[in-house]
Amino acid sequence: MSVFMDLNLLFCADRKRLQSLVETAANLGFSTVAINYVFEPKAKKKQEVPSPVPISELIGQLPVVQGRSRPIRVLNRLTVVMSEANHFRPNATEYRPFDLLAVQPTTEKLFHAACLLCDVDIVCISVMEKLPFIFKRAPVNGAIDRGVVFEVSYAAAIRDSTMRRYTIANAVSLMESCKGKNVIISSAAEKALEIRGPYDITNLGLLFGLSLADSKEAVSSTCRAVLLHAETRKTASGIIYTMKKQQQQEEEQDAAGCDAPAAKRPKQT
Amino acid sequence: MSPNDTKAESSGYQRVVLKNASPHHYLKVRLLLEDETCRVSSVELKSFIITCLKGLHGEVGAALDVGVLKYEEETLTALLRVQSRGLVKLWSSLTLQGSYQNQACAFRVLQVSHQRNLC
Repeated sequence: MSVFMDLNLLFCADRKRLQSLVETAANLGFSTVAINYVFEPKAKKKQEVPSPVPISELIGQLPVVQGRSRPIRVLNRLTVVMSEANHFRPNATEYRPFDLLAVQPTTEKLFHAACLLCDVDIVCISVMEKLPFIFKRAPVNGAIDRGVVFEVSYAAAIRDSTMRRYTIANAVSLMESCKGKNVIISSAAEKALEIRGPYDITNLGLLFGLSLADSKEAVSSTCRAVLLHAETRKTASGIIYTMKKQQQQEEEQDAAGCDAPAAKRPKQT
Repeated sequence: MSPNDTKAESSGYQRVVLKNASPHHYLKVRLLLEDETCRVSSVELKSFIITCLKGLHGEVGAALDVGVLKYEEETLTALLRVQSRGLVKLWSSLTLQGSYQNQACAFRVLQVSHQRNLC
């Protein structure tokens, strides 16, 4: 059986609250959670992309997952809210330290681009407003082919009854076009009382128009597929992985320190 | 551990096969409140559950026959009974409820079963 994941816990500067969020998720049986940094570029001024705080510094001792006697796995995730096409910069080095990359498009054109062009893992569906566009089959199918998933978050539905209406309406309209494939349901919780257990979410998926099997996958195996997709983003199609070797750098530094630069600089000759 | 002990601690699992689909489902739920000292009586709990159902599913949801069979006031744990076809409605309305008397709350569903003695 696949394990449960919740790939959206909102980051907040309050460390205690974040710790209680992760602890609650572990108690409810989630084996993997992702801490979500939301980045919303404004039109005028240039803003810094947030950089993730190291997990060990943020949480310290990781809590043990209920029923699995193993510490919970915590990842970092960045969500870019796109209101213009140039907000998402492909190959930006700021995106590299994040394990997962998500975009939240606000117009139909951007949704099309996010599904078919952007090198991301997750496309977030807005749950705070009535959708300004309808989901067309072509971009949705393209996203499914590329392995990009759609995310519906439910914490807004718990907070407010109007948001609840929008969440359900948007989710149902998404399910109509993607037929329950490549959907994840996550919390986007700010407080510990807003997280729900994995089986509660499975049942909630039925309300969103998923079948029982699809809604179980929405909290387990589809999330795992997202993580694997995210890993392939860093590599060449998941086949070759390159990394800098720390040792070599030191040797080069040593070599630069002593007087033998001629052999080390073949390009200059 | 003596052999008697192992006998007494027989495994907690038992296989039950029903010939017909059971008419009811049972849920064991715990109500978590932000203010942990807050007391909720069983009557208040029942009316709160009906409010939850009405909030998500309207009058049709409120018309569901939900019974509170057991209730422990100290731990805020209750055993609910509902018709099988109303299970999804009841469960989803408990899931999406986020406030009780202007304070944050959450229902934790501990167990779901179609047999009362298993809950």
